[in-house]
Amino acid sequence: MSGGEASRAEVAVVAVAELFRGDGDTLVSPMGLIPSLGAKLARLTFAPDLLLSDGEALLVTADGEVEGWQPFRKMLELIVPHGRRHVLMGANQIDRYGNQNISAIGDHAKPAKQLLGVRGAPGNTVNHRTSYWVPRHSRRVFVESVDVVSGVGYDNAAKVGYSARRFHDVYRVVTNLGVFDFATPDNRMRLLSAHPGVTVEQIRDATSFDVDTEGAGTSREPTADELRLIREVLDPEALREKEVPS
Amino acid sequence: MRNANEVGNVAEIVSLAEGVGRLVHDGDMVALEGFTHLIPHAAGQEIIRQRRRDLTLVRMTPDIVYDQLIGAGCARKLIFSWGGNPGVGSLHRFRDAVQNGHPVPLEIEEHSHAGMANRYVAGASGLPFAVLRGYSGTDLPRHTDTIKQITCPFTGEQLAAVPALNPDVSIIHAQRADRAGNVQIWGLVGVQKEAVLAARRSLVTVEEVVDELEPVPGQLVLPSWAVTCVAEVPHGAHPSYAQGYYERDNAYYEKWDSIGRKRDSFEDWLREKVFTMEGAK
Repeated sequence: MSGGEASRAEVAVVAVAELFRGDGDTLVSPMGLIPSLGAKLARLTFAPDLLLSDGEALLVTADGEVEGWQPFRKMLELIVPHGRRHVLMGANQIDRYGNQNISAIGDHAKPAKQLLGVRGAPGNTVNHRTSYWVPRHSRRVFVESVDVVSGVGYDNAAKVGYSARRFHDVYRVVTNLGVFDFATPDNRMRLLSAHPGVTVEQIRDATSFDVDTEGAGTSREPTADELRLIREVLDPEALREKEVPS
Repeated sequence: MRNANEVGNVAEIVSLAEGVGRLVHDGDMVALEGFTHLIPHAAGQEIIRQRRRDLTLVRMTPDIVYDQLIGAGCARKLIFSWGGNPGVGSLHRFRDAVQNGHPVPLEIEEHSHAGMANRYVAGASGLPFAVLRGYSGTDLPRHTDTIKQITCPFTGEQLAAVPALNPDVSIIHAQRADRAGNVQIWGLVGVQKEAVLAARRSLVTVEEVVDELEPVPGQLVLPSWAVTCVAEVPHGAHPSYAQGYYERDNAYYEKWDSIGRKRDSFEDWLREKVFTMEGAK
């Protein structure tokens, strides 16, 4: 990653930043390292009006400086009913319609693996825009059907109807291999762009379901200015390279 | 039913051992609240020390404090929305209990964050349930029987209803109380107020008991009549932090991963750090 060449992690940071292009004055809650690097990069460049949460209870600037408080009470009183929010969550499993599982692997009552729990997913997905970040794209994550629907996908929102669809907006999925969206007639996941150096075959092999790859492009390379911000300002210790090895 | 304050009308100042001994009984529903900040760790360890059993533990974000209680076999059920070691990973004692029934089986009642917060608000308001849009389209209503569908009488919209939480006892940690038992909290506050107001009994551990509560910007005051017992427990939130008193002990959270990972290292920890302290307070 010396010189101008961008690493895979750096491409992923930019792909995450692109999630927020055009969001305006939206509260962004990025969960995890690359999600927060991407959100900060967007704010430092093309999306200066973003409000950033630290993933817990503070609002921060791109430099990590605290600029406000956002405890549970504020979220419930202000942001959820009156504000615009875009959450970027992780997913232990995700399916073709964007159903996400972060609750349990196996039977919920007697799981093979107890995960961390549904957290905000049931509310996030039916109240405002939600995207997902998957650092290791594999068949174990991209499954035919998730074990416990925690974040609501398009098919389940449609089954429920108005209450779940009213604000439902599962926007994109960014992984170490590419960027995906659901802008197809039946809201099935499709490949929007493969990261430079990743083939469509590689993505198909790492995905349990059939993913539409027609017309997919290549994720854009970071600009020189973005690389400088990532390397010198946002993540000088290069922790991103541990989350997504090149 | 709520705020019955079985002990009396105003808060009584007691020792931690006495407070737990008097207020927490086998089989109770117990909520320990405090998000990131002011987590009542010392009280949790006192419950272990007093060997309480069959508790239904309630907490929005169970972290180390509940890994310890669950690993020590104090709980039969957990009501929660996230369970992990913040910034580190999984809670190994929690997972061992859910996956393998060790040391005792742990039933889980899983909700979303908003579901938990609104259940406390309903409890504190004396209302039987709360209403949310969240849960629609998820699998949780199939697994959690405290989520029911309800039709809005005004719009006909289908929404989720969740019952009020009214713990037998809620326990929180705060910075200060005065001698009359009025409690003062500042800095990041989660659902502590709702948890205390929703509970039948409450125990507040504090960094210090003072003659007078000097106002602090952004403070929350719980009046003495809403609290059953107050116990002075300096460093009672460690390894979490208490704004104005001490910082978060991040190394402890990292270390907990290796302590909690194995049954025997956890048993050693219990023996050395919890039970040998018996009678110390």
